[in-house]
Amino acid sequence: MSAMIPFHRVNVLTGIKSARLVENASEYANLINKAKRPLLVLGPMILEETFWSRERSLDGKPVIEYALELAKAANIPICATDIVKGTMLKLGTKPDNVYDAVEIVNHLKDPDWNGVRKEGNHDLVIFFGIRSDLEEQCLSVLKHFAYTHLKTMTLDKYYFPHANYSLTNFRKDEQWKAFLESLIDILLKGQK
Amino acid sequence: MAEVKKITRKEEEVRELIKAEIPWEPVGPTPMPEIPDLRSWDMRLLKTYKPWYAPFCDLCCLCTYGKCDLTQGRRGACGLNIEAQQARIILLACLMGCSAHAAHAGHILEFLIEKHGPDKKIDMGTFIELEAPNIRTVTGLKPETLGDLKTVIEYVYKEITHLLDSTHFGQEGSYLDYESKALHASMLDHVGMEVADIAQIVGFDFPTSVADTPMIDMGWDSIDKSKPVILLVGHNPATSCTVIDYLRENDLYDKVEVGGICCTAIETTRYSDRAKIVGPLSRQLFFIRTGIADVIMTDEQCIRTDMPIEADKVNSRVIACLDKAMYGLEDATEWDTEEIVKQMVEDKKHFAILDPQKAAEVAAKVAMKIAPQRKKEWISEEEAKELAAKCTRCDMCERVCPNLLGLGKAMKDISEGNYEEPQKLFNKCIGCGKCDQECPKNIPILRVLQVVASKETWKIRAGRGAIMDTEIRNVGAPITLGTIPGVLAFVGCSNYPDIDDVADMVYEFAKRKYIVVLTGCAAMVAGMKTFEDGKTVYELFPPDFDAGGVVNVGSCVSNAHITGAAIKIANIFAALPLRANYEVMADYVINRVGACGIAWGAMSQKAASIGTGCNRLGVPVILGPHSAKYRRLYLSRKEEDDWRIMDARKREIVDTGEPSPEHIAYVAETKEKAMIMIPKLCIRKNDTPQGRGIKLNHYISLYKRYMGGGLPEDLHLFVRRDADIPLVYKKEVRVYLKEIGWQPKEPVGLPTYIGTYPSKIPLDAVIH
Repeated sequence: MSAMIPFHRVNVLTGIKSARLVENASEYANLINKAKRPLLVLGPMILEETFWSRERSLDGKPVIEYALELAKAANIPICATDIVKGTMLKLGTKPDNVYDAVEIVNHLKDPDWNGVRKEGNHDLVIFFGIRSDLEEQCLSVLKHFAYTHLKTMTLDKYYFPHANYSLTNFRKDEQWKAFLESLIDILLKGQK
Repeated sequence: MAEVKKITRKEEEVRELIKAEIPWEPVGPTPMPEIPDLRSWDMRLLKTYKPWYAPFCDLCCLCTYGKCDLTQGRRGACGLNIEAQQARIILLACLMGCSAHAAHAGHILEFLIEKHGPDKKIDMGTFIELEAPNIRTVTGLKPETLGDLKTVIEYVYKEITHLLDSTHFGQEGSYLDYESKALHASMLDHVGMEVADIAQIVGFDFPTSVADTPMIDMGWDSIDKSKPVILLVGHNPATSCTVIDYLRENDLYDKVEVGGICCTAIETTRYSDRAKIVGPLSRQLFFIRTGIADVIMTDEQCIRTDMPIEADKVNSRVIACLDKAMYGLEDATEWDTEEIVKQMVEDKKHFAILDPQKAAEVAAKVAMKIAPQRKKEWISEEEAKELAAKCTRCDMCERVCPNLLGLGKAMKDISEGNYEEPQKLFNKCIGCGKCDQECPKNIPILRVLQVVASKETWKIRAGRGAIMDTEIRNVGAPITLGTIPGVLAFVGCSNYPDIDDVADMVYEFAKRKYIVVLTGCAAMVAGMKTFEDGKTVYELFPPDFDAGGVVNVGSCVSNAHITGAAIKIANIFAALPLRANYEVMADYVINRVGACGIAWGAMSQKAASIGTGCNRLGVPVILGPHSAKYRRLYLSRKEEDDWRIMDARKREIVDTGEPSPEHIAYVAETKEKAMIMIPKLCIRKNDTPQGRGIKLNHYISLYKRYMGGGLPEDLHLFVRRDADIPLVYKKEVRVYLKEIGWQPKEPVGLPTYIGTYPSKIPLDAVIH
């Protein structure tokens, strides 16, 4: 168990079970590779035009591009929430599924749901770019009501206690960027 | 021979309370309903719109057996699981909200009965005969006097007690039953709100039976700082109206400035169009810290709980005017007025004064005496830069910000004289002040932000109370046929992702000829942005309850007039009897009235009960992203759920496959997504092909605008026949439908849930 306090204090855990803090990209890559049916859920905070914090881009590269590269590297289907689909299409990628954050979570908690590719429900869901208070609440739903069949993971630059696996609170964008690049790199190597 | 049902003593008592012998309509099946009476309706709703729980806390800590960990299927020491615990917390929130309005109603009723007597007639004006749709529908009583309203509020108090009882250790164990109770509490909230606002309209002579109410000045710079300033904060107009009376009677109204924050501001401007509105709840602390208010008078609900502490910082004086919030202050209600004034002026003391007349006199006298010594003002640019320069970018301010704002960057920008980004940030600030107390350098961040705060003033139309019966007669048909694409109610608090969002949405949908109604903080912020010709939505759009109208209904308690308007459509337009006939009214609304609430900044427990009350009546509500912290939504799963419905004309159950409305309590993350969702949640099975075409036109066009093209993924679920397809998208939609193998479906002649679940309501009851 980690004693990490989330960056946004509205997300402080009131409970016992908190996310495992993962700082090593290869550990994340292993978890993703081990999953039979992972799913990447993208939120609007990865879009340049709606991003609320400091990391509109990482060194000039829009954050959404990291997400799409990662999905491609590990052949992970994408659920585009909110208005993410539009930007994805502009970048030449069609999402596998379009739901809002609360809707996809509503499906994921049902073990009998057939998943976005109609191959059965997912066993790993990776959240990226949902407003942090909403994302933490979505993770809470899954922690409480999907723990029998689903693990959760986040790629945002902050710690999310309700996830199963979370990144740390990166002080600097460069550290976050390095993690994402390393993760994509490892996943790509795994494909080869 | 049919068995004659014996009337119990309890039923006799209820019939007496509701004056059942007066035959304005036959008494329906549920007069003054108790907890189990509408349970089957709730269970029907909850079958389609299942509770979605996002626990804010993994534990229960409500009794000394705890803390109990409720994760991974664990139950607490009492046996409760995490779902029931969430529903219990929701019920508690709804009860807080319901009791806040009911107590407000009770207080204002006592005040006005004292003033006018219990026999004061309820007269809502020439164009409103159906004066109390919620009260009549829920209780079965047609209130004719203020005294009748007391009977109603006593019924609400009784139900609150039973509902609160169920949250005690070792009582209810089912999350569905807790939800049913939350729905019950929230329906009662609309009854309590209606009591409060009818009493206010009658007792204070607020506008009624009129649309074109006066335009009011809004914004902090509308306050004339050269005069003594009395600031009224809260919701209850007993004090504020008495202040206006006192100033008028003593020829002081030209000499003293009266402004308000939150719903008291709206109420005061319904009484006097010369009063000013400073702004919504989110501007409370910010304005208080300017020190412009000489005297702050608080009443109840949504007032800062540290008001005397904040007032001390800027030499303002506080008078606590209601017993709900006395701040530990000395109760000076029985004191000599001059002694109170002396101590407030010379010793800088604050007092509780529970007599509105005395409070008004003291406030005026103190404000006039201390205003000349007022020193605090807006921060200067130099001071702001100097303070902001102390920032070390530790980000503690950002970490505690409920709206997740990058305040450290704003401090850096301000210190360098760059104001553009901080101005945008200020629009997103919800004004809680948590940043200030975290700053290790003691930078008064909220005060520093004064340098980028807009000094604009705006116009807002005064709240007009209930929708007129004549208006309902005009729009009943186009709303139920769908040719007016929807009635949108922007309601709730000011916990917005961005304060401009509400104005943007109101503008967009008024232009699209939806009917837009607003209350409370949402009504205020809708007017805090200008569009073409520098005009606000209140100046740009007509004030009528008609296509393209923008209607400020009033304060929080005026929300009852919004649910009331939905009931009026069923009763006045569709001629369905409403007396003690809640289930039939709700069934009509969810299946045939394309209404949608947008509580974009919902934050309080009152907003929880207002929204949940809308849900029981069948009105879906879109919430802003913060509202996931309410812990519960009501969502369907459109592809998998059961969308069968009774066609009352054919008397057969039909599988429509059409998720309308798709959800009844839903969170959107961004304004853009909310704007796509709004037209979809106004779709009803009752729409004519023309009406459906209009609604789909808005859905598709907003989808294309914000999703960057394409068609909605679920469009096929809402197209019944080719005639439903909007003309402008005909070709594109036909191609899409062909691609996915869509098959046409027969529209339902008279859609109803009645007959699809166990209910005492016969099918004939919904046929009009």
